Amino acid sequence: MLVELTVNGESRSANVAPETTLLRMLREELGLTGAKLGCDVGDCGTCTVIVDGVSVNSCLMLAGRASGCDVTTIEGMASADELHPLQQKFEELGALQCGFCGPGMLISAKNLLDTNPEPTVFEVRDALAGNLCRCTGYTKIIEAVIDAGEMMSQEQANV
Amino acid sequence: MRPMDYIVPESAEAAVAILAERGEHACPLAGGTDLVVDLKHAPGNIHALVDVSGLSEFRGIEETDEGLRIGSMATYGEIMEHPTCLEKTPEVVAASHTVGAVQTRNLGTIGGNLVTCVPSADSAPALMVLDAEVTLVGTNGWRRMPIEDFFVGPRKTILEPYELLAEIWIPKHTLGKPSSFYKFGLRKGQALALVNAAGALELDGDLIVEPRIALGAVAPTPIRAVKAEALLDGQEVSGGLLDEAARVAVTETKPIDDFRASKSYRRQLIRTLTRRVLERSVEIARERQKQGELH
Repeated sequence: MLVELTVNGESRSANVAPETTLLRMLREELGLTGAKLGCDVGDCGTCTVIVDGVSVNSCLMLAGRASGCDVTTIEGMASADELHPLQQKFEELGALQCGFCGPGMLISAKNLLDTNPEPTVFEVRDALAGNLCRCTGYTKIIEAVIDAGEMMSQEQANV
Repeated sequence: MRPMDYIVPESAEAAVAILAERGEHACPLAGGTDLVVDLKHAPGNIHALVDVSGLSEFRGIEETDEGLRIGSMATYGEIMEHPTCLEKTPEVVAASHTVGAVQTRNLGTIGGNLVTCVPSADSAPALMVLDAEVTLVGTNGWRRMPIEDFFVGPRKTILEPYELLAEIWIPKHTLGKPSSFYKFGLRKGQALALVNAAGALELDGDLIVEPRIALGAVAPTPIRAVKAEALLDGQEVSGGLLDEAARVAVTETKPIDDFRASKSYRRQLIRTLTRRVLERSVEIARERQKQGELH
Protein backbone atom coordinates (compact mmCIF):
# COMPACT_ATOMS: atom_id res chain seq x y z
CA MET A 1 0.00 0.00 0.00
CA LEU A 2 1.12 3.55 -0.73
CA VAL A 3 1.60 5.62 2.41
CA GLU A 4 2.04 9.36 1.98
CA LEU A 5 2.84 11.52 4.95
CA THR A 6 4.77 14.58 6.04
CA VAL A 7 7.96 13.84 7.95
CA ASN A 8 9.83 16.71 9.57
CA GLY A 9 8.13 19.13 7.22
CA GLU A 10 8.85 17.20 4.02
CA SER A 11 6.34 15.20 1.97
CA ARG A 12 7.44 11.58 1.88
CA SER A 13 5.90 8.40 0.60
CA ALA A 14 6.66 4.71 0.37
CA ASN A 15 5.05 1.53 -0.80
CA VAL A 16 4.89 -0.78 2.17
CA ALA A 17 3.25 -4.06 3.08
CA PRO A 18 0.09 -3.37 5.16
CA GLU A 19 1.54 -4.96 8.30
CA THR A 20 4.52 -2.56 8.29
CA THR A 21 4.79 -0.46 11.41
CA LEU A 22 5.45 3.25 11.18
CA LEU A 23 8.83 2.61 12.84
CA ARG A 24 9.89 0.15 10.13
CA MET A 25 8.69 2.47 7.40
CA LEU A 26 10.69 5.37 8.85
CA ARG A 27 13.83 3.31 9.33
CA GLU A 28 13.79 0.96 6.36
CA GLU A 29 11.94 2.88 3.66
CA LEU A 30 12.69 6.51 4.46
CA GLY A 31 16.20 6.06 5.85
CA LEU A 32 15.34 7.80 9.12
CA THR A 33 17.11 5.57 11.63
CA GLY A 34 16.94 8.01 14.53
CA ALA A 35 13.88 6.39 16.11
CA LYS A 36 15.14 3.06 17.43
CA LEU A 37 13.70 -0.41 17.57
CA GLY A 38 14.04 -1.46 21.19
CA CYS A 39 11.49 -3.70 22.85
CA ASP A 40 9.09 -3.64 19.85
CA VAL A 41 6.11 -3.99 22.24
CA GLY A 42 5.52 -0.41 23.37
CA ASP A 43 7.31 -0.50 26.72
CA CYS A 44 10.71 1.13 26.19
CA GLY A 45 9.77 4.27 24.24
CA THR A 46 12.91 4.57 22.12
CA CYS A 47 10.73 4.43 18.97
CA THR A 48 8.72 7.49 20.08
CA VAL A 49 7.73 9.96 17.35
CA ILE A 50 5.17 12.75 17.25
CA VAL A 51 2.15 12.15 14.99
CA ASP A 52 -0.22 15.08 14.51
CA GLY A 53 0.95 16.69 17.71
CA VAL A 54 0.87 13.70 20.05
CA SER A 55 3.69 11.30 20.89
CA VAL A 56 3.18 7.64 20.06
CA ASN A 57 5.13 4.38 20.06
CA SER A 58 5.88 4.02 16.34
CA CYS A 59 6.49 0.30 16.87
CA LEU A 60 2.79 -0.13 17.70
CA MET A 61 1.35 2.06 14.97
CA LEU A 62 0.82 0.64 11.51
CA ALA A 63 2.30 2.86 8.81
CA GLY A 64 -1.04 2.96 7.00
CA ARG A 65 -2.62 4.68 9.93
CA ALA A 66 -0.10 7.52 9.70
CA SER A 67 -1.18 8.18 6.12
CA GLY A 68 -1.74 11.91 5.64
CA CYS A 69 -0.32 12.70 9.08
CA ASP A 70 2.36 15.12 10.13
CA VAL A 71 5.22 13.18 11.74
CA THR A 72 8.16 14.59 13.69
CA THR A 73 11.15 12.39 14.42
CA ILE A 74 14.43 13.07 16.20
CA GLU A 75 15.91 14.02 12.84
CA GLY A 76 13.56 17.02 12.81
CA MET A 77 14.76 18.51 16.09
CA ALA A 78 18.16 20.02 15.31
CA SER A 79 18.86 22.29 12.36
CA ALA A 80 22.08 21.93 10.36
CA ASP A 81 23.88 24.44 12.55
CA GLU A 82 22.09 24.40 15.87
CA LEU A 83 20.94 21.78 18.34
CA HIS A 84 17.48 22.01 19.91
CA PRO A 85 17.71 23.45 23.46
CA LEU A 86 16.81 19.98 24.80
CA GLN A 87 19.73 18.45 22.93
CA GLN A 88 22.05 21.21 24.18
CA LYS A 89 21.01 20.60 27.78
CA PHE A 90 21.20 16.81 27.47
CA GLU A 91 24.78 17.25 26.22
CA GLU A 92 25.75 19.85 28.82
CA LEU A 93 24.44 17.84 31.77
CA GLY A 94 25.53 14.41 30.58
CA ALA A 95 21.97 13.18 30.49
CA LEU A 96 22.78 10.38 28.06
CA GLN A 97 25.35 7.62 28.27
CA CYS A 98 24.91 4.97 25.58
CA GLY A 99 22.30 7.17 23.91
CA PHE A 100 19.94 4.43 22.77
CA CYS A 101 16.98 5.90 24.70
CA GLY A 102 17.92 9.41 23.54
CA PRO A 103 15.74 9.78 20.44
CA GLY A 104 12.66 8.74 22.40
CA MET A 105 13.56 10.73 25.52
CA LEU A 106 14.13 13.87 23.48
CA ILE A 107 10.95 13.50 21.44
CA SER A 108 8.85 12.85 24.57
CA ALA A 109 10.48 15.82 26.28
CA LYS A 110 9.87 18.02 23.23
CA ASN A 111 6.24 16.96 23.16
CA LEU A 112 5.95 17.97 26.83
CA LEU A 113 7.68 21.34 26.45
CA ASP A 114 5.66 22.19 23.32
CA THR A 115 2.51 22.26 25.45
CA ASN A 116 3.95 22.93 28.91
CA PRO A 117 7.13 25.05 28.72
CA GLU A 118 7.76 25.14 32.46
CA PRO A 119 6.89 21.72 33.82
CA THR A 120 7.34 20.58 37.41
CA VAL A 121 9.56 17.61 38.23
CA PHE A 122 6.41 15.53 38.65
CA GLU A 123 5.16 16.54 35.21
CA VAL A 124 8.50 15.66 33.61
CA ARG A 125 8.53 12.26 35.29
CA ASP A 126 4.96 11.66 34.17
CA ALA A 127 5.77 12.71 30.60
CA LEU A 128 8.81 10.42 30.46
CA ALA A 129 7.20 7.42 32.17
CA GLY A 130 7.09 5.63 28.83
CA ASN A 131 10.80 6.08 28.10
CA LEU A 132 13.22 3.70 29.74
CA CYS A 133 16.92 4.45 30.30
CA ARG A 134 19.19 1.65 31.53
CA CYS A 135 22.44 3.64 31.82
CA THR A 136 22.52 6.99 33.56
CA GLY A 137 19.33 6.91 35.50
CA TYR A 138 16.78 9.63 35.20
CA THR A 139 18.00 12.44 37.43
CA LYS A 140 20.18 14.16 34.81
CA ILE A 141 17.53 13.66 32.16
CA ILE A 142 14.87 15.34 34.29
CA GLU A 143 17.24 18.21 35.13
CA ALA A 144 18.04 18.66 31.45
CA VAL A 145 14.36 18.84 30.49
CA ILE A 146 13.63 21.43 33.16
CA ASP A 147 16.68 23.52 32.21
CA ALA A 148 15.76 23.32 28.52
CA GLY A 149 12.25 24.51 29.32
CA GLU A 150 13.68 27.52 31.17
CA MET A 151 16.09 28.20 28.34
CA MET A 152 13.30 28.08 25.75
CA SER A 153 11.07 30.34 27.84
CA GLN A 154 13.89 32.87 28.17
CA GLU A 155 14.56 32.74 24.43
CA GLN A 156 10.86 33.35 23.86
CA ALA A 157 10.92 36.30 26.26
CA ASN A 158 13.93 37.81 24.47
CA VAL A 159 12.30 37.67 21.04
CA MET B 1 4.76 -9.55 11.56
CA ARG B 2 3.24 -11.96 9.06
CA PRO B 3 1.66 -10.60 5.84
CA MET B 4 -1.70 -9.12 6.69
CA ASP B 5 -4.59 -7.56 4.81
CA TYR B 6 -5.46 -4.11 6.13
CA ILE B 7 -9.00 -2.90 5.52
CA VAL B 8 -10.43 0.50 6.42
CA PRO B 9 -14.23 0.23 6.41
CA GLU B 10 -16.44 3.22 5.62
CA SER B 11 -19.00 2.73 8.38
CA ALA B 12 -19.68 0.66 11.46
CA GLU B 13 -22.18 -1.48 9.54
CA ALA B 14 -19.61 -2.02 6.79
CA ALA B 15 -17.03 -3.04 9.40
CA VAL B 16 -19.43 -5.63 10.83
CA ALA B 17 -20.22 -6.94 7.34
CA ILE B 18 -16.54 -7.27 6.43
CA LEU B 19 -15.78 -9.05 9.69
CA ALA B 20 -18.70 -11.43 9.15
CA GLU B 21 -17.62 -12.12 5.59
CA ARG B 22 -13.98 -12.77 6.51
CA GLY B 23 -14.88 -14.90 9.50
CA GLU B 24 -12.35 -15.87 12.14
CA HIS B 25 -9.33 -14.80 10.09
CA ALA B 26 -10.19 -11.12 10.46
CA CYS B 27 -9.85 -9.04 13.58
CA PRO B 28 -10.96 -5.48 14.34
CA LEU B 29 -8.05 -3.13 15.05
CA ALA B 30 -8.50 -0.29 17.53
CA GLY B 31 -5.47 1.48 19.03
CA GLY B 32 -3.27 -1.56 18.47
CA THR B 33 -1.40 -1.32 21.77
CA ASP B 34 -2.38 -4.90 22.62
CA LEU B 35 -3.23 -6.35 19.20
CA VAL B 36 -0.10 -5.25 17.32
CA VAL B 37 2.01 -6.82 20.08
CA ASP B 38 -0.01 -10.05 19.83
CA LEU B 39 0.35 -10.07 16.05
CA LYS B 40 4.12 -9.86 16.34
CA HIS B 41 4.44 -12.68 18.83
CA ALA B 42 1.32 -14.88 18.76
CA PRO B 43 -0.75 -14.00 15.70
CA GLY B 44 -3.00 -17.06 15.91
CA ASN B 45 -4.94 -17.40 12.69
CA ILE B 46 -5.43 -13.67 12.05
CA HIS B 47 -4.70 -12.68 8.46
CA ALA B 48 -6.71 -9.47 8.09
CA LEU B 49 -7.14 -6.33 10.17
CA VAL B 50 -10.27 -4.24 9.95
CA ASP B 51 -9.25 -0.82 11.23
CA VAL B 52 -12.24 0.60 13.08
CA SER B 53 -10.28 3.32 14.85
CA GLY B 54 -11.37 6.12 12.55
CA LEU B 55 -15.07 5.29 12.19
CA SER B 56 -17.19 8.34 12.94
CA GLU B 57 -19.78 6.22 14.83
CA PHE B 58 -17.02 5.21 17.25
CA ARG B 59 -15.20 8.53 17.48
CA GLY B 60 -15.66 11.73 19.44
CA ILE B 61 -16.65 12.79 22.91
CA GLU B 62 -19.72 14.97 23.42
CA GLU B 63 -22.33 15.91 25.97
CA THR B 64 -25.95 15.50 24.92
CA ASP B 65 -29.34 15.64 26.68
CA GLU B 66 -28.81 11.98 27.62
CA GLY B 67 -25.38 12.40 29.18
CA LEU B 68 -21.78 12.12 28.08
CA ARG B 69 -21.06 10.02 25.01
CA ILE B 70 -17.52 8.71 24.70
CA GLY B 71 -16.87 7.02 21.37
CA SER B 72 -15.20 3.66 21.91
CA MET B 73 -12.30 4.79 19.73
CA ALA B 74 -11.55 7.87 21.86
CA THR B 75 -7.96 7.52 23.02
CA TYR B 76 -7.00 7.91 26.64
CA GLY B 77 -5.05 10.98 25.59
CA GLU B 78 -8.20 12.52 24.11
CA ILE B 79 -10.25 11.75 27.22
CA MET B 80 -7.61 13.32 29.47
CA GLU B 81 -7.69 16.58 27.50
CA HIS B 82 -11.43 16.83 26.92
CA PRO B 83 -12.97 19.78 28.81
CA THR B 84 -16.26 17.99 29.57
CA CYS B 85 -14.47 14.89 30.87
CA LEU B 86 -12.19 17.07 33.00
CA GLU B 87 -15.12 18.98 34.45
CA LYS B 88 -17.79 16.30 34.85
CA THR B 89 -15.99 12.96 35.02
CA PRO B 90 -12.64 13.85 36.62
CA GLU B 91 -12.16 10.35 38.00
CA VAL B 92 -12.53 8.82 34.54
CA VAL B 93 -9.73 11.21 33.57
CA ALA B 94 -7.74 10.18 36.67
CA ALA B 95 -8.19 6.50 35.84
CA SER B 96 -7.20 7.15 32.22
CA HIS B 97 -4.06 8.88 33.45
CA THR B 98 -2.93 5.71 35.24
CA VAL B 99 -3.03 3.60 32.06
CA GLY B 100 0.35 2.82 30.44
CA ALA B 101 2.36 5.92 29.59
CA VAL B 102 1.90 8.99 27.38
CA GLN B 103 2.69 7.24 24.09
CA THR B 104 0.43 4.26 24.72
CA ARG B 105 -2.37 6.54 25.96
CA ASN B 106 -2.20 8.47 22.69
CA LEU B 107 -2.73 5.24 20.74
CA GLY B 108 -4.78 3.13 23.13
CA THR B 109 -8.54 3.57 23.12
CA ILE B 110 -10.98 3.26 25.98
CA GLY B 111 -13.06 0.82 23.92
CA GLY B 112 -10.05 -1.31 23.12
CA ASN B 113 -9.21 -1.46 26.81
CA LEU B 114 -12.74 -2.59 27.69
CA VAL B 115 -12.89 -5.17 24.88
CA THR B 116 -9.52 -6.64 25.89
CA CYS B 117 -11.32 -7.16 29.18
CA VAL B 118 -8.49 -7.84 31.58
CA PRO B 119 -9.63 -7.82 35.22
CA SER B 120 -7.29 -4.90 35.95
CA ALA B 121 -8.62 -2.55 33.21
CA ASP B 122 -8.28 0.85 34.87
CA SER B 123 -11.12 2.61 33.07
CA ALA B 124 -13.69 0.03 34.14
CA PRO B 125 -14.22 0.84 37.85
CA ALA B 126 -14.35 4.59 37.21
CA LEU B 127 -17.06 4.06 34.59
CA MET B 128 -18.99 1.47 36.62
CA VAL B 129 -19.51 3.78 39.61
CA LEU B 130 -21.07 6.33 37.25
CA ASP B 131 -23.63 3.75 36.02
CA ALA B 132 -22.09 3.85 32.53
CA GLU B 133 -23.73 2.00 29.69
CA VAL B 134 -22.26 0.69 26.46
CA THR B 135 -23.69 0.40 22.97
CA LEU B 136 -22.74 -2.42 20.64
CA VAL B 137 -23.26 -2.89 16.92
CA GLY B 138 -23.28 -6.26 15.22
CA THR B 139 -24.95 -8.36 12.56
CA ASN B 140 -28.29 -7.96 14.41
CA GLY B 141 -28.05 -4.21 14.71
CA TRP B 142 -27.46 -2.12 17.80
CA ARG B 143 -27.99 -2.95 21.48
CA ARG B 144 -27.28 -1.21 24.77
CA MET B 145 -26.53 -2.48 28.27
CA PRO B 146 -25.01 -1.52 31.63
CA ILE B 147 -21.23 -1.73 31.46
CA GLU B 148 -21.15 -4.43 34.18
CA ASP B 149 -22.98 -6.79 31.84
CA PHE B 150 -20.31 -6.28 29.18
CA PHE B 151 -17.62 -8.10 31.16
CA VAL B 152 -18.01 -11.89 31.19
CA GLY B 153 -14.62 -13.25 32.27
CA PRO B 154 -10.90 -12.66 31.90
CA ARG B 155 -10.46 -11.51 28.28
CA LYS B 156 -14.08 -12.44 27.60
CA THR B 157 -16.82 -9.93 26.88
CA ILE B 158 -20.45 -10.31 25.95
CA LEU B 159 -19.66 -9.36 22.35
CA GLU B 160 -21.07 -11.82 19.81
CA PRO B 161 -18.92 -12.77 16.82
CA TYR B 162 -18.51 -9.74 14.51
CA GLU B 163 -20.01 -7.42 17.10
CA LEU B 164 -18.21 -4.19 18.03
CA LEU B 165 -18.24 -1.87 21.04
CA ALA B 166 -19.42 1.48 19.70
CA GLU B 167 -19.93 3.92 22.56
CA ILE B 168 -19.74 4.42 26.29
CA TRP B 169 -22.50 6.57 27.81
CA ILE B 170 -22.30 8.19 31.20
CA PRO B 171 -25.87 9.17 32.08
CA LYS B 172 -26.74 12.76 32.82
CA HIS B 173 -27.65 12.10 36.47
CA THR B 174 -24.15 10.89 37.35
CA LEU B 175 -22.19 13.63 35.55
CA GLY B 176 -20.40 15.51 38.30
CA LYS B 177 -21.34 12.93 40.94
CA PRO B 178 -18.79 12.97 43.78
CA SER B 179 -16.42 10.17 42.88
CA SER B 180 -12.92 8.90 43.51
CA PHE B 181 -10.54 6.47 41.79
CA TYR B 182 -7.44 4.91 43.26
CA LYS B 183 -4.99 2.52 41.63
CA PHE B 184 -2.27 0.65 43.41
CA GLY B 185 0.50 -0.70 41.18
CA LEU B 186 4.12 -1.61 41.79
CA ARG B 187 5.26 1.56 40.00
CA LYS B 188 3.55 4.74 38.91
CA GLY B 189 4.35 4.38 35.20
CA GLN B 190 3.38 1.48 32.93
CA ALA B 191 2.23 -0.76 35.75
CA LEU B 192 -0.82 -2.95 35.91
CA ALA B 193 -3.01 -2.49 38.96
CA LEU B 194 -2.58 -4.90 41.85
CA VAL B 195 -5.97 -3.53 42.82
CA ASN B 196 -7.90 -0.54 41.55
CA ALA B 197 -11.02 0.92 43.10
CA ALA B 198 -13.60 3.57 42.43
CA GLY B 199 -16.33 4.99 44.60
CA ALA B 200 -19.16 7.43 44.02
CA LEU B 201 -21.97 8.72 46.20
CA GLU B 202 -24.18 11.69 46.97
CA LEU B 203 -24.91 13.09 50.41
CA ASP B 204 -28.39 14.20 51.47
CA GLY B 205 -27.50 16.04 54.66
CA ASP B 206 -25.53 13.32 56.45
CA LEU B 207 -27.21 10.44 54.64
CA ILE B 208 -25.43 8.52 51.88
CA VAL B 209 -27.45 8.32 48.69
CA GLU B 210 -26.78 6.12 45.65
CA PRO B 211 -23.45 4.72 46.82
CA ARG B 212 -21.37 2.86 44.25
CA ILE B 213 -18.18 0.86 44.70
CA ALA B 214 -16.33 -0.86 41.86
CA LEU B 215 -13.14 -2.88 42.10
CA GLY B 216 -10.64 -4.16 39.54
CA ALA B 217 -8.04 -6.95 39.55
CA VAL B 218 -9.91 -8.63 42.39
CA ALA B 219 -12.06 -11.13 40.47
CA PRO B 220 -12.34 -12.58 36.94
CA THR B 221 -13.90 -9.29 35.81
CA PRO B 222 -14.15 -5.79 37.28
CA ILE B 223 -16.97 -5.98 39.83
CA ARG B 224 -19.39 -3.83 41.80
CA ALA B 225 -19.29 -4.41 45.57
CA VAL B 226 -23.08 -4.45 45.86
CA LYS B 227 -23.28 -5.72 49.45
CA ALA B 228 -21.04 -2.94 50.65
CA GLU B 229 -23.13 -0.47 48.64
CA ALA B 230 -26.34 -1.79 50.26
CA LEU B 231 -24.76 -1.36 53.69
CA LEU B 232 -24.08 2.31 52.98
CA ASP B 233 -27.33 3.17 51.23
CA GLY B 234 -29.44 5.63 53.23
CA GLN B 235 -27.16 5.47 56.27
CA GLU B 236 -25.64 8.34 58.16
CA VAL B 237 -22.03 8.79 57.12
CA SER B 238 -19.41 7.93 59.77
CA GLY B 239 -15.89 6.59 59.86
CA GLY B 240 -17.14 3.35 61.36
CA LEU B 241 -19.66 2.87 58.57
CA LEU B 242 -17.03 3.37 55.87
CA ASP B 243 -14.74 0.89 57.68
CA GLU B 244 -17.52 -1.65 57.75
CA ALA B 245 -18.30 -1.14 54.05
CA ALA B 246 -14.61 -1.66 53.20
CA ARG B 247 -14.60 -4.87 55.24
CA VAL B 248 -17.71 -6.15 53.47
CA ALA B 249 -16.30 -5.22 50.06
CA VAL B 250 -13.39 -7.62 50.66
CA THR B 251 -15.86 -10.50 51.15
CA GLU B 252 -17.30 -9.83 47.69
CA THR B 253 -13.97 -10.32 45.90
CA LYS B 254 -11.93 -13.33 44.81
CA PRO B 255 -8.38 -12.05 44.43
CA ILE B 256 -5.68 -14.39 43.17
CA ASP B 257 -2.07 -15.12 44.08
CA ASP B 258 0.27 -14.26 41.24
CA PHE B 259 3.80 -12.98 40.65
CA ARG B 260 2.67 -9.39 41.27
CA ALA B 261 1.10 -9.89 44.68
CA SER B 262 -0.33 -12.47 47.04
CA LYS B 263 -4.02 -12.98 47.64
CA SER B 264 -3.76 -11.79 51.24
CA TYR B 265 -1.91 -8.62 50.21
CA ARG B 266 -4.57 -7.92 47.61
CA ARG B 267 -7.28 -8.38 50.24
CA GLN B 268 -5.61 -5.76 52.41
CA LEU B 269 -5.37 -3.45 49.43
CA ILE B 270 -9.05 -3.90 48.61
CA ARG B 271 -10.01 -2.88 52.12
CA THR B 272 -7.67 0.10 52.19
CA LEU B 273 -8.54 1.35 48.72
CA THR B 274 -12.29 0.94 49.23
CA ARG B 275 -12.03 2.93 52.44
CA ARG B 276 -10.04 5.66 50.69
CA VAL B 277 -12.30 6.08 47.66
CA LEU B 278 -15.37 6.26 49.90
CA GLU B 279 -13.74 8.75 52.22
CA ARG B 280 -12.62 10.91 49.29
CA SER B 281 -16.08 10.77 47.70
CA VAL B 282 -17.61 11.91 51.00
CA GLU B 283 -15.10 14.78 51.18
CA ILE B 284 -16.04 15.92 47.69
CA ALA B 285 -19.75 15.66 48.50
CA ARG B 286 -19.18 17.75 51.66
CA GLU B 287 -17.31 20.38 49.64
CA ARG B 288 -20.26 20.52 47.26
CA GLN B 289 -22.66 20.98 50.18
CA LYS B 290 -20.57 23.88 51.48
CA GLN B 291 -20.45 25.47 48.05
CA GLY B 292 -24.23 24.99 47.81
CA GLU B 293 -24.71 26.82 51.12
CA LEU B 294 -22.57 29.71 49.93
CA HIS B 295 -24.62 30.21 46.78
